[in-house]
Amino acid sequence: MITLAPAGLEGIPGLVRCEQYDRERIAELLTEMTHGTYPHEQVYGEYCTVHIHIECPPEQVFAYMANPYSLMEWTYSVRALRPTPTEGLLLGVDAQETPLYCRVESHREALTVDYHCAWDQGDQLWMIYLNRIVPAQRVLARSGTVVIWTNCRHPNYAKNPFPALAPRERAWVGDYWPFFFAGHSLELANLKSILEYRTRLSLPLGPRLLEVQPLPDR
Amino acid sequence: MIPIHLLDVASYLPESSVDNSFFAPGTAGRRGMFTAPSTRRHVSPDESAVDMIEKAARRLSERQGLDVARDIDLLFTNVAIPDQAFTGCGAEVAARLGAHPRWIVDLHNTGCVALLYMLDLARVLMQGSGARGALLCCVQNAGGRIFSQPGVRTKSQAPIPGDGCGVGYARAGDGSPLLSLVQRCQPEFAADMRAIGDDGRHYWQPGQSPISIAFTESRVAAIIQRGNSLVPELVRLACAEAGVAVRDLDLLVTNQPSTIFLRNWREALELRPGVHHDTFDRLGNLFGAGIPINLDDALTEAKIRRGSLVCMAGFSHAGDYGAAAVLRWHGDARSSRERPASGV
Repeated sequence: MITLAPAGLEGIPGLVRCEQYDRERIAELLTEMTHGTYPHEQVYGEYCTVHIHIECPPEQVFAYMANPYSLMEWTYSVRALRPTPTEGLLLGVDAQETPLYCRVESHREALTVDYHCAWDQGDQLWMIYLNRIVPAQRVLARSGTVVIWTNCRHPNYAKNPFPALAPRERAWVGDYWPFFFAGHSLELANLKSILEYRTRLSLPLGPRLLEVQPLPDR
Repeated sequence: MIPIHLLDVASYLPESSVDNSFFAPGTAGRRGMFTAPSTRRHVSPDESAVDMIEKAARRLSERQGLDVARDIDLLFTNVAIPDQAFTGCGAEVAARLGAHPRWIVDLHNTGCVALLYMLDLARVLMQGSGARGALLCCVQNAGGRIFSQPGVRTKSQAPIPGDGCGVGYARAGDGSPLLSLVQRCQPEFAADMRAIGDDGRHYWQPGQSPISIAFTESRVAAIIQRGNSLVPELVRLACAEAGVAVRDLDLLVTNQPSTIFLRNWREALELRPGVHHDTFDRLGNLFGAGIPINLDDALTEAKIRRGSLVCMAGFSHAGDYGAAAVLRWHGDARSSRERPASGV
């Protein structure tokens, strides 16, 4: 049998554990912390998590999300992705004219797909979209997949680290942070619609890509 | 539907003000759902609900110049811990006041929103009956009768209830018109609150254990969530039905089960500071007497005047009833000499 070392937590302040907080004291704390409504800033100020259920098997959701070119289908504005000389690093456009760099880090066994992105430059990919793909059978006792997507408010959202690279009069991505919950919810709904449609009709899940010949340089 | 208006409200508070030293050690430092008021009133052992109603009703009838023998066609009571088994106290109240109501209704439901339920019933009973005046009497006396008993007063919920009586007088016609009244009955929650002895005996069975009031513990989180959402929802509904915006309310009075509910309702409704008026820290959880006593207190503090938009709202027990009403206050502002001597 394994037990905790008696002094293992000594000196660590602020822990809430049943040895110090009996049922009544924890009830005090829980009810005090539980509000009926929460300001948007309090819930989505530092971290923005959105989640959705998709009626499509988790392995297939993983395969679709792990393919970076799928972003051109389900995101609102990531388009024209193409390889760069750096292995795994893609370059596309976002917000119309903004260069968007993107690399996917995925782990099939863990069912995680993270998009490491940045505007304007590809050396520091600091906009990181963390996605966890969960078999719905395990957590909701139903078929399909739960996708949990979290963004953390990196300090660069507050201040463009490379202002010299930005086109004049372009709004900074971080200025839209208050809309991230809404924007990401819409994109996640796109993902659901696409995958459920193709699953329902037994179509290949995609992404549907065409090989186009690049225009010859002049 | 016949228009009905709330002419006035009045209060009676028992003399005995009890501070936190009466309860378990550490009471004043409790937090969250167990945050204790600084003081609360307790009824004395021999003080009846009839006594309480009589005092509040006389105050109201004197202030408004009512002829109680003629002006009370309907008499409603709601008493948390009734004076007698078998019957309510409405008839005794009528005798004490010298009133001759055509209908007496001793309600034993809708607890914390009883005043609103009574208003709705009065409106219906006045329809085509010729009845014109209704005395609405709400008594909370569980503080002294239950939560001051040995064996109960040291329980964590014992410091929260406070006793008092709030009465209202409603009249057909549109003096201070009731603009809307919405209510909801959620019978599936009716079994979540129980009066039981510590040894599990029924309250009518002989035994040594004191009787207490408790919520089903496993349902507490659900009850809190229910209360959090139900009251703001009904306030919004009542405002919509009255054709006014929530932000235009000059006063909101609710029942006051705990500081947590008061905070959560205020936050959810995004009211201006001071609009949600409560007396929790002085008087504790007044259950059904809370809405009329808080309205009376707000009038005494001159928080509303002629033309003010007032909302009354709340939920009862574990959420079995909820109600909200909006009215335009057309009574006169109270002068300071009308403030009750007992310091409501």
